[in-house]
Amino acid sequence: MRKAGNNMTETATESVKYDGLQDRYLLFCIGDTNYGLPLAMALEILNIQPITRLPCVSPYIKGIVNLRGKVIPVLDVRAKLGMVERGYDDATCIIVIDLHDMHIGLIADRVSEVLTVPQENIIAPPKNSASYIDSVSDLDGKTVLNLDCEAFFRDDLDQNLS
Amino acid sequence: MSNDDFGMESLLEVFIHETEGMLEQLDNILLESERAKSITEENINTIFRITHTIKGSAAMMNYGGISSLAHSVEDVFYILRENPSKLALVFNSIFDLVFQASDFFKKEMEGLQGESYAEGDPSEIIAQLEQQAGVIKGERPPVVESVPAPPQEKPVSPDAVRIRIVFEADCGMENIRAFMLLNLLQPYCEELSSVPANPENDSSASAAIIRDGFLVLCRPAGSVDDLAKVIESSLNVKSYEILENAAAPEDKKTEKASPAPGEADEGTAAQAKSEAQNLSKGVKQSLISVNQTKLDHLMDLVGEIVTAESMVVGNPDLKGLHLDSFTKSIRELRKLTDELQDIVMSIRMVPLQGTFFKMDRIVRDMSKKLGKKAELITEGGDTEVDKTINDAIVDPFMHMIRNSMDHAIELPEERLALGKPETGRITISAKNTGGEIFITISDDGSGLDTDKLLKKARSSGLLTKPESEYTEKEIFNLILLPGFSTNTAVTEFSGRGVGMDVVRKNIEQVGGTISIASEKGKGTTFTIKIPLTLAIVDGMNIAVGSTVFTLPITAIRQSFKIGDESQIIHNTDGSEMIILRGECFPVLRLRDVYSIESGTENLLEGIMIQVDCGGSGYCIFTDELIGEYQVVVKPFPIFLNRYDLKNKGLSGCSVLGDGSISLILDVNTLRKE
Repeated sequence: MRKAGNNMTETATESVKYDGLQDRYLLFCIGDTNYGLPLAMALEILNIQPITRLPCVSPYIKGIVNLRGKVIPVLDVRAKLGMVERGYDDATCIIVIDLHDMHIGLIADRVSEVLTVPQENIIAPPKNSASYIDSVSDLDGKTVLNLDCEAFFRDDLDQNLS
Repeated sequence: MSNDDFGMESLLEVFIHETEGMLEQLDNILLESERAKSITEENINTIFRITHTIKGSAAMMNYGGISSLAHSVEDVFYILRENPSKLALVFNSIFDLVFQASDFFKKEMEGLQGESYAEGDPSEIIAQLEQQAGVIKGERPPVVESVPAPPQEKPVSPDAVRIRIVFEADCGMENIRAFMLLNLLQPYCEELSSVPANPENDSSASAAIIRDGFLVLCRPAGSVDDLAKVIESSLNVKSYEILENAAAPEDKKTEKASPAPGEADEGTAAQAKSEAQNLSKGVKQSLISVNQTKLDHLMDLVGEIVTAESMVVGNPDLKGLHLDSFTKSIRELRKLTDELQDIVMSIRMVPLQGTFFKMDRIVRDMSKKLGKKAELITEGGDTEVDKTINDAIVDPFMHMIRNSMDHAIELPEERLALGKPETGRITISAKNTGGEIFITISDDGSGLDTDKLLKKARSSGLLTKPESEYTEKEIFNLILLPGFSTNTAVTEFSGRGVGMDVVRKNIEQVGGTISIASEKGKGTTFTIKIPLTLAIVDGMNIAVGSTVFTLPITAIRQSFKIGDESQIIHNTDGSEMIILRGECFPVLRLRDVYSIESGTENLLEGIMIQVDCGGSGYCIFTDELIGEYQVVVKPFPIFLNRYDLKNKGLSGCSVLGDGSISLILDVNTLRKE
């Protein structure tokens, strides 16, 4: 299991690599809440497509999809966050992210926009180990919860690497 | 990485690859010859050639240790080639030495592939080889003495001669050459010593020889001219001077006629001749070595093409159209892709022979070390498996053979007392049964002791039910559990902390299974079933509701519809069974196993598929058969590893022609015992 500190350095090198992606966030919505994801992590956004269900997995893992010959797992962010699931519609998206060279699809209600969030607008949340939130940014009265992917997938990765 | 680096690196790779290939050949010849108690002339030539090539390429790569050891092996076989009759003198010791040499080479090869490489020191083996060379030439009694060279200071009698020999610059291995020269001089001298003494034991002597020349002190048996002739005819001698009397040195300096005798000397000439002969009679080399990652890539590409082809053929846009010419072209394409796939698969196939030979070597070494007598019999070494699989099974096999040698085969006395032949026998045989390879490893040793196994399992806390309820097969399977090892004492060969559970894990990793049969006092047989290849399987696609599964064709015995419900027998625990040809098979509803909500519950609507798994079969109930397809097996994403789907009946997934994904069923793990 990689430590969060490691992740920090990784994000740092990545932002050097993807110059111009720094401070840029991909915003997606679950219900009325805005979530942010570092843009450097996002690989692509797919429309919702038929997902092959897998037996014997956690309910929030919806199955696997074929991304140009590559098989990637798809998670429902709603379910993972413990919210009530809802049916998928035209706005539903799969955000494909890269986490430790693993490609993972995240199902979000919709993707809203890509935003540049200046460092000074980012506020650290209260310390809470159970939280998936890295920081909160405040933009023109819009509140964005920045997802800490490391924490978000900690449960899944823990047993992966053991 | 700069170009130069790359060049050198690939050169090293080629060197390692070639040398390993030749070492394997060397081992085979040696084992074969040792068994036959003689070496054929052809084999002597081959060994000579192998060591010669290794020497050359090692010298080129600047690995002095390898090169000089190869040189001394080459020397011994050079002499043997001239005088095959002398072989009997040194037969056993030569084999041990050459095996040692071969091990040394292998260790060096491993070192070269590792992170940091430190050259090993072969001088001990070299010294022994030189000594044997002397024995063959009849200059030394065939008694093994640990220090072969004469003492350093010998009283030199009045008519003693001192000869100072200067070797050609850069000829390398001066100390060894000096030693060989001493051996050559031996028959012509009554007394012989040298400065430095025992040059063969000390590679640092080379420097001294280069600096001061090699000084031979001797009392010639005949005339001094005899000695001069010998020196003149030996290799790489640049010049020599005979200082007639130690007290009153009278220079008689002779410069050798040809300054560079390398090409003309007999050794090289003979070598060149033999190589020329081999060239003329041998078949033209048409093999090339390819990096395995390239092959993997090619395999992936072919997989993609197969998928893409299905996408075109099954394209929904074509539905309802009658396209004669299109269908014809598609058929042609299909033929070609099939052929392409077969070829790529065949490139990746390697015969098991190589692995078997390694086992042969282990049996030989261990029987020597343990004082046991055993022979390895191999059958079906020409059976081919995918390279990945071949690589994955070498370690488990070695472990099993070691186990058999260490624990199963008894000492010769014990065997005779038990009325068994003195020599134990381990048989390893392979055969191809369509989609799978059957490999059995059996021995005629002590067999598994069920009482002992149970006792051991009890003390390790591995038993899950009362002992009396364990069947024999279940008891045998206990040895495959982690944390089980019957031998309390750790020996050199087995018992290194890895047990049969690791063997099982390795075999299962490539989709194989292992089962054990044993009879106390008679022996043990391990049966291993491995899929021929991992990448592409012929599968029957079946559907349960909207989920598509692929069932490997090789597992299917038959499929049928049920006429009426009365054929189904309900067990007391609620499970269902069906009787087919007098045998009772459990029925497994895929829908229930994987809790799929859609799909039919009515047994009359769906279809039954009888599958085979490791001797016992069962029936899978599913909605419908979709058809037979070739599918490319893809592993599940690593992200899903924690769910251990491999042990829940799913061996992987596959992208179908329409871009959707099917789940590949593994009949062995699908049904829980």
